[in-house]
Parts: sequence; C-alpha cells; structure tokens
Amino acid sequence: MSPVVQSRGKKITAADNLYTVILAVAFFAVFATTVFVAYQCYTQYGTIFKIQ
Amino acid sequence: MSTLTKVLIVLLTFASIVLCAIVVTYVASADNYKQKYDSLYSGYQAAKKNEDNAKTQLNNTIEEKDRNTEKLGEQIASLGEEINKLKGDLANAERDRDDANRKVNNWAAIVMDFSKTIENNEKLVKGALAERDLKEAELIKQGKELEDTTAALMENMAIVKQLQEGSKRLLEEKTELQDKLDQYLRQYGKAIAEPMPITTIQEAVSLAPPTKDIDLNGSITEVDLKNLLAEISIGMADGVKEGMRFHLTRGDKFICDIVILDVWPEKAVGWIELLQDQPQNQPKINDKVSTNL
Repeated sequence: MSPVVQSRGKKITAADNLYTVILAVAFFAVFATTVFVAYQCYTQYGTIFKIQ
Repeated sequence: MSTLTKVLIVLLTFASIVLCAIVVTYVASADNYKQKYDSLYSGYQAAKKNEDNAKTQLNNTIEEKDRNTEKLGEQIASLGEEINKLKGDLANAERDRDDANRKVNNWAAIVMDFSKTIENNEKLVKGALAERDLKEAELIKQGKELEDTTAALMENMAIVKQLQEGSKRLLEEKTELQDKLDQYLRQYGKAIAEPMPITTIQEAVSLAPPTKDIDLNGSITEVDLKNLLAEISIGMADGVKEGMRFHLTRGDKFICDIVILDVWPEKAVGWIELLQDQPQNQPKINDKVSTNL
C-alpha cells in the first residue's frame, strides 16, 4: 500500500501500511512482554508454568 | 480500511503498550517469593536445627541436673548421717565435759577436805609431839625411879634372903629343941601338943614401895631481878614440879628461895622469894639450887 495523494478538497489520510506497522508494534510489545515475563518466571521459580 | 478499524487499531496498540508497560513494571517490581521462601525455609531449617540442639542441650541439662540432684541428694544424705554422728559425738563430748566438771568439783572438795584433814593432822602431830616430849620426860623420870626401885629391891632381896636363912636356922634349932623336949616328956609318959599358929604364915611378902628422898640439885642458868624470876638447869625430867621450893646457896651462904612457876623437860622457871637487900647476896648465874639444905 503506498500513500495516495488525493486531490484538492479531499481529506488527507494515512496509508494502510502505517496501521500495519502500528499493529506490528503492538504485537511486538505484547511479545516482548511475554518473553520478559517468561524470563522472569524462569529465573525466579525455575519453570514457566509449573507450580512447585 | 474504514476509520473505525483504524481507530480500533490505534486504540488496541495503545492499550497493548500500556498494558505491556504495566505488566513489565509489575513483573519487574514483583517480589521474588521463591527467594524469600528459600531464605525463610533455610531460616526455618536453621531454627529447627537450633530447636533440636536446644532440645538436646535441654535434655542433657535435665539429665545432668538429675545426676547432680541425685549426687547432691546422696551428699545431703551422707552429710545428714555425718551431722547425726557429729551430734552424737557432741552429746558424748558434752557428757564427758559434764563428768569431767563433776570430777573436778569432787576432787576440789576432796582436796579441801584433805587440806582440812592435813591441818587437823598437823595440829594433832604438834599435840602428839608435845605429849611425846612430856612422855619422854616422864619416861626418863620413871627410868630413874625404876633404877632406884631396882636397887632398893636388890637390897631388900638380900635382906629377905638373910632373914630367910635366919628363920631356917631358927626352925632347925626349934626342931632340935622339940626333939629334945619330946625325949624328956616321953621319959615321964607325957607328950607335947602340936603348937597352933595364931597368925597364918604368908609365903609371899609384898614389899612396900620404897620411899625416895627428894634431893634435887641444880644451878641457876638465867636471872631476871627486875621481874624477880630465875631459870634453873633441871626440869620435869629430873622430877621438878610446879610449886616446888628450891633453896639457892652460894658456898655455905643462903641467898634466897625459888618457887617453881613453870616447868619444861630440861629446865624450869620460878619466882624469887626471900631476896636480901645486899648486892653481894643477889642471885647470880651458876649459883646452886637444891630442895634440901
């Protein structure tokens, strides 16, 4: 998707790729958080899900 | 893509970032419970070990206390026996002390009695010695009298023997005369009657005690003209008695008389009487005294 230059009189809108990047950022944030939480669980308790 | 979708994408992303930030912050700041558990568990184990050690020490202490209590009980019992024994010894010692005190008192009383007895005996000894002196003087006097009596007896025995011989000769003459008289009377047919004694003949004649002429002679040993007293050299042993009168002479001259006042075994003291005024006729030492002039 490439930005579309609209004619005069039309609203300027962002290209759809921008939202894809935003979603990627959101996904990356969630993924990074998950990895961080898993790392913390593993380092502190020695396991990720199992309850001793 | 519709606007709503875009808005939702933006909101979803924003919410995700916020939530992720919150989660990361929470997880990063969350406590490490496992570490806390481990530390607490190790602390618990250490505490439990300490408890066990404390229990062990407590048991050991209790056992040691029991042993010490038992040992102290035995010591208390032995000390109690020793105390009883010492009390018995003390009672015996007190009894011995009382007995000793009684003995001391008894001995003190006995010693006092002995002292009194010794004093009495000393007095008796002094009296006996004085009496012995008197008896000795009397014995000496009696010895002299016995000698005089023996001499007189010997003389009288000789006289009696001479008289007995004379009597025997007279009896023989009498018998001869009796025989001659019998012969004369038989010639004329007569007999003489047996003469009867008027008094009984005493075979044993008791001799009268010989009279002794008191003739005591002595000398002056001390003169006290101030008190008119004089001491003579003869005493009780020679027969001097209180109240006797002695005549004091010097050569053929009469000086004075002495009346005996006090007598000792070997000397006597008397009162001077009939004292003359002339100084040459005063009594002196070594003047002669006698009972007979």
